[in-house]
Amino acid sequence: MNRYLEILLESLKGFDPRYLYRNPVMFVTEFALILSIIVTIFPSAFDLSVSFSYKQFYEAVVVLLFLTILFSNISSAISEGKSRTITNSLRKLQKETTARLLSGTEITEVPSSKLKRGDIVLVKSGDTIPIDGEIIEGSGYVNESSMTGESRPSRKILGDSVTGSTTLVTDEIKVKVTNNPGETFLDKMISIVENAKRERTPNEIALSVFLSGITLVFLIITAALFTLSRYVGVTPDIMILIVLLIALIPTTIGGLLPAIGVAAVNKISEYNVIAKSGKSVENAGDIDTIILDKTGTVTMGEREAVKFYPNRGVDYNEFVTTCSMISLQDQTKEGMSIVKLAQRDNINLTLNDVAGYEFVPFSAETKFSGLVRGGDEILKGAFRALENKFNISDKYVEGLCKEISIRGGTALTVVKNGEFSGVIELNDLLKPGIKQRLEGLKKMNIKTIMCTGDDETTAAFIARESGIDEYVANVTPIDKYNVVIKEKEQQRMVAMVGDGTNDAPALAKADVGMAMNSGTPAAKEAANMVDLDNDPTKLMDVIFLGKQILITRGALTTFSIANDIAKYFVIIPAMFTVFSQLNYLNILGLQNPVVAITSALIFNTFILLALVPMALKGVRYRPSSISDLLKRNVMIYGLGGVLLPFIMIKIIYSAMIATGVVW
Amino acid sequence: MNSLAYAFTIQGGSFWGQFFLNNRLVSGSIIILIYIVFMSVFAFILSGYIKKIYKEEPVWLDPVSGRIVKFFEKIFGESPPKGMKFKEYFSTLLLFNASAAIVTFVFFYFQNLLPFGTGYHQYSISLVFNTVTSFVTNTNLQHYSNPLHLTYFTQTFVITGLMFVSAGTGFAASMAFIRAILSENGTLGNFYHDFLVSIFYLIFPLTLLLTLILLFMGVPQTLSPYLLVHPILGLGYEKLPLGPVATLEAIKNIGTNGGGFYGANAGFPFENPNWISNLTEFIAFTIIPLGSLLSLGRVFDSKGFSNVLFGVVISIFVFTTFMTFFGEYAGIPVLSNIGVMFTGNMIGKETAIGISQSTIFASGAVFTSTGAANSILLAFTPVGILGILGNLILNDPIGGVGTGVLNIFMFVIFTVFISSLMVGKLPEIMSLRIGAKEIKYSTLSLITHPLLVVIPFGITMLLPGVIGVTGNPTPDVVTQIFYEFATAAANNGSEMGGFLTNQPYFNYLDGIIMLLGRYLLMAFQLLIAQSFSSKSPKVQFGRSIDPGSFLFGLMLFVTIVVLGVLSFFPILALGPFLSWARDFGLVLRWFH
Repeated sequence: MNRYLEILLESLKGFDPRYLYRNPVMFVTEFALILSIIVTIFPSAFDLSVSFSYKQFYEAVVVLLFLTILFSNISSAISEGKSRTITNSLRKLQKETTARLLSGTEITEVPSSKLKRGDIVLVKSGDTIPIDGEIIEGSGYVNESSMTGESRPSRKILGDSVTGSTTLVTDEIKVKVTNNPGETFLDKMISIVENAKRERTPNEIALSVFLSGITLVFLIITAALFTLSRYVGVTPDIMILIVLLIALIPTTIGGLLPAIGVAAVNKISEYNVIAKSGKSVENAGDIDTIILDKTGTVTMGEREAVKFYPNRGVDYNEFVTTCSMISLQDQTKEGMSIVKLAQRDNINLTLNDVAGYEFVPFSAETKFSGLVRGGDEILKGAFRALENKFNISDKYVEGLCKEISIRGGTALTVVKNGEFSGVIELNDLLKPGIKQRLEGLKKMNIKTIMCTGDDETTAAFIARESGIDEYVANVTPIDKYNVVIKEKEQQRMVAMVGDGTNDAPALAKADVGMAMNSGTPAAKEAANMVDLDNDPTKLMDVIFLGKQILITRGALTTFSIANDIAKYFVIIPAMFTVFSQLNYLNILGLQNPVVAITSALIFNTFILLALVPMALKGVRYRPSSISDLLKRNVMIYGLGGVLLPFIMIKIIYSAMIATGVVW
Repeated sequence: MNSLAYAFTIQGGSFWGQFFLNNRLVSGSIIILIYIVFMSVFAFILSGYIKKIYKEEPVWLDPVSGRIVKFFEKIFGESPPKGMKFKEYFSTLLLFNASAAIVTFVFFYFQNLLPFGTGYHQYSISLVFNTVTSFVTNTNLQHYSNPLHLTYFTQTFVITGLMFVSAGTGFAASMAFIRAILSENGTLGNFYHDFLVSIFYLIFPLTLLLTLILLFMGVPQTLSPYLLVHPILGLGYEKLPLGPVATLEAIKNIGTNGGGFYGANAGFPFENPNWISNLTEFIAFTIIPLGSLLSLGRVFDSKGFSNVLFGVVISIFVFTTFMTFFGEYAGIPVLSNIGVMFTGNMIGKETAIGISQSTIFASGAVFTSTGAANSILLAFTPVGILGILGNLILNDPIGGVGTGVLNIFMFVIFTVFISSLMVGKLPEIMSLRIGAKEIKYSTLSLITHPLLVVIPFGITMLLPGVIGVTGNPTPDVVTQIFYEFATAAANNGSEMGGFLTNQPYFNYLDGIIMLLGRYLLMAFQLLIAQSFSSKSPKVQFGRSIDPGSFLFGLMLFVTIVVLGVLSFFPILALGPFLSWARDFGLVLRWFH
């Protein structure tokens, strides 16, 4: 109840002309309202009939004009109320904590709001991480449920970024502060949601300029009609002219325009995505090419070892032991799954077994990881990478790899003592529902390009299975950048997802770059949106949303202008009943002119209310090609916008006559 | 068929001859379609050449025209021509036009002192202002009574000169617009260069050609004094004005100017001797506007775009022309019913030309911004005039020389904007992003025309004195006043009249409307060009709404018509709609 009251109060506040002047259509409506009130109070001053029935009509007009503005204000009040709820809940997260500031070895306790960029803080198990930062020492599990709603803690290692207000549940980490207080993600998110009302996108500005222009034309034509009717000897009823003006100016889109923009920003916040501006969401709707990572987007990304294939002449158990050894310190999902699979073969190793070896972690450039002791190297990695590194070849292993690739799996080869000792088969499953989503993208004429570090065969298999248009195999981060450049050279709008520092240039170059919250600060800086849930497929939701905003605006504009045709045919004959010959324009056959004019205004007022949910939710949108979509929307909102008011005005008129309204 | 009409049916001759002579609706429609086919074919032939001018490709006129252009560029000190941004381009354009206007103003005002002048040739300052603005803006609204009040000197230098200047300026603006879309160096080109190219590559050669054709058809070109002839019936002498008609007539049509040598314009036999010259002149004034629209597809490598533009403008044209034709064919029921008007409304039409050819000529004159006439619009039926007004309220669908390209782009930009939104794409045309700035200028140029018509119209309605119609105001007067401002704002220049136009109020007001309708609109449109000019990329790529698709064409058609009609509906209702209802006795009739 309280909420509704709040919305109502907020809507009443919206009558303040200082708010309304930004919205010319509503500003004119308010001007008309004031004028109509004056006319109602002093009808004789305007040479108007003061008969009882006319007074009733005048009062009805005043009420309807008031409602028109009120409905428009309600739509923005609802969307703004929602954004206030969002910012409030975000603010609650921003609790002041005490941070352990490290200077050298000394620890001082300072409030989190005093931290500056570059400071290093120590976070212990159970602590709330005071501010956004990057792990520079240690690793641990972080519970990010406050940000993402994901209750399972995720593991953060060196170089990962952590977000303020999340909780470290294990171990101890040192965090380098990357954002000053007031500039953190939470702050950014809050300010974006708050500014949604004030900051208009270029597209929104363009539309409101157009609407203002049309409003001006209608204002002038109404004024000219005043003098014209005097010239032809009809005393113009100023109230009818006011109704004509309000019926003609695009109140439907004009009244709902502010709410549409705010609703979109609310929606994207509900997706748990931080868009750096409303513009980037609209840009997302315009995407032609989307560059996806295979792992995590198209496939589950949790690649699991499923089988060991020792090379000819290599003992199975010995091979499994080797695999387990090199994966013990490997913290990637594949590494852990290899150790787990080895345990099923009863190979249980501890860190003691690899004492004396140095672990080489995986990197996107080298594409291998493993152990090194002196000149002794045991490495696992892609076949091509190791083949090139050691300059060796093995037809049997190559054959095994090909076989696995054709099945869509990933082959991980292991080299020991300069020779291939076998292949580990990793399995990667397509994400559930990814096929349908990619199909949707195809219908929208969006080209999909998959980037993967896997070889040609695997990439081809996954691409075919999932319906990806193009793929780039054996990818290095620089390749990704090149793909973006290549697409942009063809004047396509490119969207991509990335998380590593290496992705930053590509993210910055892309029209829409979405970084994962788990990604590095550099990637997050370069991107124009950040997904807090680390779900790359969300990029597609954002594309949908972007399209939806634009379609909602376009559809309502078309509808609003198309409505005018019917209103002319109702109001003009009703205004000039003196010229009985002009009655052929009265195609609805509305005999009572005053009731007819009121019906038109009632339609105009309540269609605004009826469309509020559509403005807030966005029009229904199913992925389809441009021409199909245009055909469909032109039929619904264009043709529908012409016909609906004829039908509705006739119904309203009949209902009014039936209830015995005789003005 | 009543007996009187039967008496006029033609007997004998071949079956088809009889059929066409007795079924004028059919034969008239066929004549109109033949005109449209001829117009389209000739425009299509010229469009290839215009495309080469737009893209600055070599043409066969280079050896002659190229040298002349270079020669004049040297005189202007613009050799080689340097690129100009909007501000410089437009101010040069304005300055050039202003100097032409001022010089001609002086010539005109003092024409009694100049060669061929007598005291008889003195005009009021408001009329001179009106006439000069009218000709420099390519409008050619003539508030003076022709031709007795103009000397040969004025006809040739003031009128013909300004006709070249205005046509060249219009085409130069369109060259700048297209260059801005194609290039990405941030400039619009050089005005002097564009103007000279327009004149010497396009307008002058065509004018020369048409002059020769007209001379062969018998249009006079002489400096000899007026002939004094003795009428067959009646007493005394009548003055038969002669003069350098052919040249003026040629540029009048080629440059979509429309201001004739004689008061009756192309209705006078010396301007338009027969049906062949009628067709020739019709082709002459449609060839450049339609040709430049058709060239756009070739310029932007999108055949579909040409088809869309052609389809849209021809649909509008066919619709309005047949509206006028049917209106005129039906005539006025009161008169036809008593058998006086069974041939349709022949009032104010040249009998040698007839209803269908008068209709298509008048319709073509408002379809382009020519405004020439071979019949008297004032005598048209309400439906007939509605068809004509339909073109005027759309600011002449294919516009004048060059300006048609600018106008159609304004509508294309809007249609792209709205339809892109409806499919969830950010709007772009020819891969140029349409942002807030482009929409701002497009909106301004879109509302300029309605505001320039409606504001003066509304004010004039308050001044029954200047309208000077006694008795009850009829809807016809509303139509006439509306027509006056619509033709001025559209820079069309066709006149309906019906009230005293040559009075200071209308002379000054129309003059200002014409100036704003020409230069303000052009400024907004060139500002769009300026903001496109520094944008890249610039190739056609099917990533967004395809401006060459049928659906887009339909959208464009609907956008043009709906925006046009919505802006003027109330005035149309109390003007032509009401007179139509009156003429046809559509009294209070309920449909339910």
